[in-house]
Amino acid sequence: MFKNYLITAWRNIIKNGVFSAINIFGLSIALMSCILIMLFVKEEMGFDKWLKDNDRLVRMHTAYTMPDRAPFLTVRSAGRMMEAIRDYAKNEIETGVRLIQWSLTVRKDDNAFDEAITLADGSFFDVFDLPFVHGSRATSFNQPMNLLVTEEFAKKYFGRTDVIGETLTVCCVGRNPPSDVRITGVLKDLPDETHLNINMLFYLQPALFPPNNNILDTWTSVNVYTYFKLNAGITPMQLQERIDYWMNNESPLVEMSKDLLGEQSNGMQVTDFARQPVMKVTDLHLNAKKHAGNIGDITPMGDQEMINTFTVVAFLVLMIACINFMNLSTAKASKRAKEVAMRKVLGASRLQVAIQFLSEAIVIVFVALLFAIAASELVLPIYNDILGKQLALRLFNEPDLLLSLIVVATVVGIGAGIYPAIYLSRFLPGHILKSSKSGESGNSAKLRSVLVVFQFTTSIVLVIATLVVYGQTLYSNSVDVGYQSDNKLVLNVRPARENLPSLKQELLNIPEITSVTFSSEAPTQDNENNNQFTLLGTGEDGKKVEPALLNYHNMDYGFFEAYKVQPIAGRLFDENYGSDQMTSVESDTIEPGQASVILNESALTKLGFSSAEEVIGRTLLLGEQQLNVIGVIPDIHFRSIKFGIRASAYMLNSDRFQVANLTVNSELLNSDKSAEIISKIEQVWKTNVPLQPINLQFLSEMMQAQYQDELTTAQLFLAFSVLAIIIACLGLYGLSAFTVERRTKEIGIRKVMGASVKDIVKLLIWQFSKPVALANIIAWPIAAYAMLTWLESFPYRIDQVWLIPICLSVGTLSLFIAWFTVGTNAAKVARKNPISSLRYE
Amino acid sequence: MLKLHNLSRVYQTDDVETMALNNVNIEIAQGEFVAIMGPSGCGKSTLLNTIGMLDTPSSGEYWFNGEDVSGYSEAQLAVIRKQSIGFIFQNFNLIDELTVAENIELALLYHDIPASERKQRVSTVMDKVGIAHRAKHMPSQLSGGQQQRVAVARAVVGDQKMILADEPTGNLDSGHGQEVMEMLQALNDEGTTIVMVTHSPAHADYAKRTINLFDGHVVTESVKAA
Repeated sequence: MFKNYLITAWRNIIKNGVFSAINIFGLSIALMSCILIMLFVKEEMGFDKWLKDNDRLVRMHTAYTMPDRAPFLTVRSAGRMMEAIRDYAKNEIETGVRLIQWSLTVRKDDNAFDEAITLADGSFFDVFDLPFVHGSRATSFNQPMNLLVTEEFAKKYFGRTDVIGETLTVCCVGRNPPSDVRITGVLKDLPDETHLNINMLFYLQPALFPPNNNILDTWTSVNVYTYFKLNAGITPMQLQERIDYWMNNESPLVEMSKDLLGEQSNGMQVTDFARQPVMKVTDLHLNAKKHAGNIGDITPMGDQEMINTFTVVAFLVLMIACINFMNLSTAKASKRAKEVAMRKVLGASRLQVAIQFLSEAIVIVFVALLFAIAASELVLPIYNDILGKQLALRLFNEPDLLLSLIVVATVVGIGAGIYPAIYLSRFLPGHILKSSKSGESGNSAKLRSVLVVFQFTTSIVLVIATLVVYGQTLYSNSVDVGYQSDNKLVLNVRPARENLPSLKQELLNIPEITSVTFSSEAPTQDNENNNQFTLLGTGEDGKKVEPALLNYHNMDYGFFEAYKVQPIAGRLFDENYGSDQMTSVESDTIEPGQASVILNESALTKLGFSSAEEVIGRTLLLGEQQLNVIGVIPDIHFRSIKFGIRASAYMLNSDRFQVANLTVNSELLNSDKSAEIISKIEQVWKTNVPLQPINLQFLSEMMQAQYQDELTTAQLFLAFSVLAIIIACLGLYGLSAFTVERRTKEIGIRKVMGASVKDIVKLLIWQFSKPVALANIIAWPIAAYAMLTWLESFPYRIDQVWLIPICLSVGTLSLFIAWFTVGTNAAKVARKNPISSLRYE
Repeated sequence: MLKLHNLSRVYQTDDVETMALNNVNIEIAQGEFVAIMGPSGCGKSTLLNTIGMLDTPSSGEYWFNGEDVSGYSEAQLAVIRKQSIGFIFQNFNLIDELTVAENIELALLYHDIPASERKQRVSTVMDKVGIAHRAKHMPSQLSGGQQQRVAVARAVVGDQKMILADEPTGNLDSGHGQEVMEMLQALNDEGTTIVMVTHSPAHADYAKRTINLFDGHVVTESVKAA
């Protein structure tokens, strides 16, 4: 019996060449999209799942939501929290560990590299049970300053993994001089799917830190990563309740908040303005961003929304392909009506007939799956390139992947085949055999039109979404950031802190370099330094002004001039005044420091001033420092425009300088020239900062990198929506081929009556224009609503008006594509000799 | 009106060559009523289709109203066809999705005729063939005889000078067959040239001349005594 089904199924696939090709091709493309998206989703969702006891590991974040202040969320926490909470919540917590991430220079012989190092409490391996290649946790990580490295790291420095006992020179922990450290163990390389960033792991020595330091010995400075391992059977929720209780009743924050907030704390609990939310380690990759603004995570994090969006896209593409199958099978049902009738005459039940057609659908889907797997292998390199990932399709190593593909294919087969099966098995044999009728009812034709409308609505929404995402990305790149970013190089000068003046002088000696100016951050670099600035005296309206939380940067003389930022009031930093530079206040003096500050327009507004002139000459208090407001500059986008403008203060504290901003007087894009300039800069670096790696970047590249995420999303969106359109068009092609076939007699009659080829093509095109036009009318409001909602998250976004031309052009394009698809079929039959079509019966 | 000179039509399939018409010479004058008879497969329908310009000859000349149309393009033939020739088929060939009136109107749709005049002409011709009361019905709701009347109406609504009928009575019972023949007779009396393929000697009797075909040749021609 089943063999008979398979034979009929196979012969039908062969006999209906075009239809089968369309079905298989469409389903292959859809399944390929599905596989690619599944691989991506699987990797993103699989982060840290390989960790032992991962369901018991949590990380503790910090959220400060003080009244009248912008909320401050971070994935880090304060240094004293871990021990306090671990000891308090003994019933919930088995153990905990703190990690500190630093960037240091590591030297071996003449090679020097910047490395991210991790300092961890001795309990590290009680939480993260990472496997060793050489050494063991008992022998290699049992006392302060033990150093573990990964295999990859060992190979990079020594060319082998067996490196226990070798030494490296690191520089510098705190303000200590460079020191030699001995490697005590080698860890197996961590998989890519982790939020952990461990290359060099030090056993943390608290004695290295002075008392009252703001890393370990603090309740409020958030500079460490805190992880807990829960007792078996404890949920993160239970721990959360325990921590909240402790925060509100037992923690030192109860007293501290009373001191800090004064009357404002009345009637409030600590957790109303300071929380320590915990999150499962396996959720971090996708959800830490939402939980804690992603501030402080070192590895790039994923985005749950992107995962959800692409899962929906994969589903829609599959739906479109399934609809093709449904439409084409019911459309050509008339051709199989006789077969169904004969099978029933010979004793087949309706169920048996239905099962036959269903198995046909499943056979086709599985054939398509084979093509899809092959196609996925082909496009994976490109896909990985766009995503910046190393995804691979290892079907036989990952049985769950293979199994899920089989499940998906079966579900798709049933989804696509169930309606045709029910529809075809309903034919009544007597009726069909007697009247040689097709059994085609008006309802199934109507349903086909509805499904075509659905396909095109979906495709059009996807294409409009793609264009909006692309448009927004291009727009983000083109927004006037408020400063001149051309011809700029950014040099990390942290390792050269002692000889900045000589470095600057020698860089200026390079003829192509027109200016060198230092700053705490270059444009585009992340900065979350905020502080409370208090206006002395009264505001513009004569009332006392509340202290304002301002973002702050430090920059040298000439910074704003180099970036061509003009003050709208007052002046910029000027060496001739001699009063701009901030000097650190010695703790034993009572004399407050005197220095200058420049504000941006948003800060002006935040301090309650409407006129820039008014604020010049006023004094802001920042800690012990009294700052004289000397100038106001326009709002400039120091960071990616997606973060918007923040109220900012710019000061001149040379202790904070981290980068040098170099302006070059020739077009850097000219590659010959840029290579020459770079080698000159490297020469200067080598003589001034020997044995330290150089870190030099083009500002233009740094600015582009900010939009890489959006660009990736846009590219993927584009790829998948183009695939969706192709599949929908294939379906339309098949359907029009069928319609043309069914209407052959009518077309013949019309031709005999004098219709020209053009008349016939027009007639058929109009028939198929209606569903596509209807799809547009349905798709436009859906797409517009979805994309306007999406755009709301961007402080700077393309004008809503743009949606109109986008919708109209997508509409026109969709009609053109439909016309082209249908037109080729129509023209073919319209050119035929009408007699052959009239004899067709 | 038309003249076929040494006209042949060869059908070519992969390995078989079929001579459907072989050196046929026929002349038909304006206003004639000609019946074409012969056994199945003798080339009757091919001859009719060639006359109707639905099929093109493989060799020979076809003069229509003084022009040799044998080399004309599909588009040129379509123009002559829609102006001068009406068709009636054995299986009616009405479009199932259109009403009676719409089916008849179809013949005018591809001429530049304003809608109001089309309506006028359709209703006149429906009266003439006695189908007006069925104007809004679908072909499937009509009897065979009624369907063929619609087809006749469609063939003449454009004032065609010649009607080609391919076994117009083949699917009808004798009563309805006679009705259709009388209708054709009446049209011929009004001056329309009629060329009809038929198997029925009785119906061939309506014609003034009968051409007998056998294996693609004209075997005999007989003219009915007036």
